[in-house]
Amino acid sequence: MSALLHFRWLLAAQASRLLLTLLLALIAIFAGIGLLGVSGWFITAAALAGSGAAFNLFAPSSLVRGLSFVRILSRYGERLVGHDATLRLLSGMRGWLFATLFPKLPLGLSPRHGDLVSRLTADIDALNTAFLSSVIPLLGTFAAGTVMALAVHLLVPDATLFYVVAFSVSMVAVPWFLIRSTRRAGQAMVERASDLRGAVLDTVGGHSDLVAFGATEDALRYFETAADRLARSKCAMARRSAVAQSLVQICGAAAFVSVLWAGLAAYGQGQIAGAVLVGLLLALLGSFEAPAMLSRNLARFSASAAAAERLRDLEQSPARIAEPLRPTKMPEHADIVLDHVRFGYGDGADVLAECDLVVPEGQHVAIQGPSGAGKSTILQLLLRLYDPRSGVVRIGGEDLRTLVADDLHRQVALLEQNAPVFIDTVRGNLLIGDPAADDRRLWQVLEDAKLADFVRSLPRGLDTMLGETGKTLSAGQARRLCLARTMLSPARIVLLDEPTSGLDRETECAFLADIEHVLAGRSVVLVTHADLPARSGMRVLTLKDGRLEEKP
Amino acid sequence: MSANSTELPLDVVADAALDHRKSKEQAQTRWLSGLGRLGGRAMAVAIGAPLLAGLLLVVQAWLVADTLERAIGGGVARAELATGIALIAALFVARAGLSYLAESNGSLAAEHVISRVRLALFRKTLSERPDWSASRASGAISAAIVDQAESLEGFLARFLPAMIQAAILPMAFAVIVLPVDWVAGMLLLVTAPLIPVFMALAGWGAEAAKRSEAVAFARLSAYFADRLRGMLTLKLFGRAEAETRAVGEASEQLRQSTMRVLRIAFLSSAVLEFFAALGVAGTALYIGLTFLGMVNLRFDVLTLQAGLFCLLMAPEVYQPLRLLAAHYHDRAGAKASIAELDTLFEGLPEVSPKSTSQKERATSPRATDATIVATGLTVRAPDRTGAVLDGVTFRIEAGEQVAIVGESGSGKTTLLEAVARLRGHEGSVTIGGDPEIGETQLRQMLAFLGQKPRLFQGTIAENIRLGRRDASEADVRAAAERAVVSDFADLLPLGLETPVGEGGLGLSGGEAHRVALARIYLRSPDILLLDEPTAHLDGATEERVIDGMLDFAKGRTLIVATHSRTLAARMERSLRVAGGQLMPVLRAKPKAVSRSGGVA
Repeated sequence: MSALLHFRWLLAAQASRLLLTLLLALIAIFAGIGLLGVSGWFITAAALAGSGAAFNLFAPSSLVRGLSFVRILSRYGERLVGHDATLRLLSGMRGWLFATLFPKLPLGLSPRHGDLVSRLTADIDALNTAFLSSVIPLLGTFAAGTVMALAVHLLVPDATLFYVVAFSVSMVAVPWFLIRSTRRAGQAMVERASDLRGAVLDTVGGHSDLVAFGATEDALRYFETAADRLARSKCAMARRSAVAQSLVQICGAAAFVSVLWAGLAAYGQGQIAGAVLVGLLLALLGSFEAPAMLSRNLARFSASAAAAERLRDLEQSPARIAEPLRPTKMPEHADIVLDHVRFGYGDGADVLAECDLVVPEGQHVAIQGPSGAGKSTILQLLLRLYDPRSGVVRIGGEDLRTLVADDLHRQVALLEQNAPVFIDTVRGNLLIGDPAADDRRLWQVLEDAKLADFVRSLPRGLDTMLGETGKTLSAGQARRLCLARTMLSPARIVLLDEPTSGLDRETECAFLADIEHVLAGRSVVLVTHADLPARSGMRVLTLKDGRLEEKP
Repeated sequence: MSANSTELPLDVVADAALDHRKSKEQAQTRWLSGLGRLGGRAMAVAIGAPLLAGLLLVVQAWLVADTLERAIGGGVARAELATGIALIAALFVARAGLSYLAESNGSLAAEHVISRVRLALFRKTLSERPDWSASRASGAISAAIVDQAESLEGFLARFLPAMIQAAILPMAFAVIVLPVDWVAGMLLLVTAPLIPVFMALAGWGAEAAKRSEAVAFARLSAYFADRLRGMLTLKLFGRAEAETRAVGEASEQLRQSTMRVLRIAFLSSAVLEFFAALGVAGTALYIGLTFLGMVNLRFDVLTLQAGLFCLLMAPEVYQPLRLLAAHYHDRAGAKASIAELDTLFEGLPEVSPKSTSQKERATSPRATDATIVATGLTVRAPDRTGAVLDGVTFRIEAGEQVAIVGESGSGKTTLLEAVARLRGHEGSVTIGGDPEIGETQLRQMLAFLGQKPRLFQGTIAENIRLGRRDASEADVRAAAERAVVSDFADLLPLGLETPVGEGGLGLSGGEAHRVALARIYLRSPDILLLDEPTAHLDGATEERVIDGMLDFAKGRTLIVATHSRTLAARMERSLRVAGGQLMPVLRAKPKAVSRSGGVA
């Protein structure tokens, strides 16, 4: 609940639309109650007056017609405005989540990717429905109940207590029971949906592995269990909501019967006119439509609360890398210095021990060493994705911890080992590196990455859409596209993690030989297993046992 | 198909496309209504209980009208009405119970069916070749199986029962009112059936619009998944703000398209509300005027009880229709989702009512030997016009060790995938001369390592054990040693029990590759197809991985696709893929090639 309140600022942005929705909802509710009440009163009064009596027809007939139309219009308006407000909330929340997530990257032990996807879409959807399907009906119901209680109190005072009790039970006790009892089921439901999504993503991503190992039946069984578990928790939710709805109906019945019983006594004593009593009873039947709607929707409330809780947790989890309080300006030159850097992941052993490195601006350096020795780690430290356990990483003489991350990233570009190809055009994928680049520049980096011929052979050239993880590209082509993107970046320091993996030796050699003039003037730190071409004058370092050594 | 149709006159094509779409839509609707039947007894209760409740409602209205007439019209004392009032209360409670039954059973039936649908879709995904799922965004597939299937819930749990109620109750109520007052009865009888007609008119528009919304939603899901996957890259390129804005814009577009749908969708319920109001107001006015003697269409005098009964029943005639309208978008949503599923999965799968029993794994003896023969093997690229492999023919004897080399993008991976039957192709590939080799037998005989092997959620050991479920700890250990996994695993605090995340998060590329290799060593395949088994490895580690590989491959057929000269040099022979063709690489003497692979 408190987690939901945490997101109340979102409501404020849509306050006017939400208030309009509430107003229209109230009008619709009262028009409905009024329609039944007036009709009941009218025909009873007419029957009692009898044939030929003088009767003012104008008021009741125009009221009946007017209330009908008011109800139709206000319902339509309520729905439209309400949904518009909700979708605006949704759009705001999605942006919010992205904005929240970006500064927290890299996430420590990152949640499963599938879970993250589910958080973005499902959690935010769930949180979103909380407002439209719970808060507004709740307020509407409350208003209807209060007005009806007043009417009962004025017309049949003896039934007031009964009515108030019945109504409060259906408005307070039943929703409370429902929220309480569905809290855990709601949480389970959201989690199980995310498990199921994870199972699908795992399977789609590992399809060929599963097939190759004949393990598809295992995947199927796992999936079936996950699907059944989700179904079970959804049924549990539905059962509770059904109980709540039945309870609301029973409350309505109790209110009706008690007003009928007390009303008949009042009528016998001449305290209330027959027509008024009938009108009141019919209006009562109408007024219980609102809480019935409420309990139908409240079941989702707990799911929303669970979603809100996880979203809040995500927001409140500290960013692993703290931005400096008083940042230093980005220095003029871009010399790289690693000074006695010691580093390890989590509680693990040291990967780097007393690691030193000096790369003057413009120099090209290759780092070699056994797999897993920590070569990629050095690149990550240079981007301050992690802070060293001890020692200092400097660029241009400034400790990275005093620089604003955005400034740093503008100066340092990285080609990651698993750099992604986005669902976008070739052009869109490249422009991530430098949104301001023109086509001439794009073709140039494609040439440099030895990919221009291929792109030229595509029917739509730069505007060809690329599939997920560049699956219409071969692994080597995807690699070169990401390489081109990195080289397009105007950064003064370029970090390349295995830029030639997936390339054949000829292309690899050609690329490594080219680096010197393609990236001339920019600092390059290259992590590679490849043997450098003999002509290459590149400085080579070997990372071994956590230390860098010059290769003779 | 589309290539052929461009030669036809445009209007013929358009007509054919329209016909095709119509028949497709009909098939989708049939499939959807077929789902209801899978709901079983729970579905029957969900449909039957509200009908029974409707019957009780008539009795209740009659009793309420009777009580009020006797009290107000007849001046009967309250005490004498107690029985009637108690009966009214009892009817209320009975109806509440029926509503519970209907709700809970509706959900039970819906969830059961949805699980079956999900399973059928998942099964379909798995039964396709991996290049099928690779050609689709994984975000779109998970959205289909998790979210689109979910949208059947409203259709099954609410729309179907509401539809039956709407078909029966309004007419039944109107007919019951008929003998009480024929004019009121006729009024209800005439207005009620008109409503679905108008609703359908408004609904059609809503459905078409809803469909386009579903497409937008699927794209949005795929977009989110994609951007999330690459979020760190985007951040490092300083695209955080731009992408945050893009996400907002994409959501805003979804909002606008959704609002277009809703404006029409809500119109259909407004039409209904209009008629319902007309019916109630008309009944009330008619009865009032009859009482006042201003209208006289009856043969006898209208009692207050009859009048009140008509008034109480009037909104109830429209109530089932309003319920149907409230759930009408559930149907539209379900249909739109199904159309989306139909497109994504290229046809709707057959949904079986029961959890299908697992097929017994045939452990047929391996009669065939491990000779691989390909004849006229042709593979076309999905997006490019040309063929990646163009009529390739080769023969690899059992026990041979062959390297496939060639430029990146030339089709080495494609060749291996085609042999591993992971990719559709033309021409034939036979193993041991048997073109009809069964899937189970093929998977027992043949092991395949892809370029991006997947590490599943679990520990390193669990991932290795995927090779053979019943492998002993020692076997797993041995495989890990052979694949040089132990090198890095032993440095981890939890060793082989270290959990690795989705997509092999936390392990470097070379490490993930070796885990996948260990997986293969746990099996005893006759044929090994390895795509770049030593990518991401430094020279020393590569040598050790190759040693382990060759040791394991003794007496087995080994085919590696590789860029590594070191690896290629240690194979018995090499084949080069270039221009869609496969040709032998001539080597003077294998030993003459420098092991380090350096270029002089």
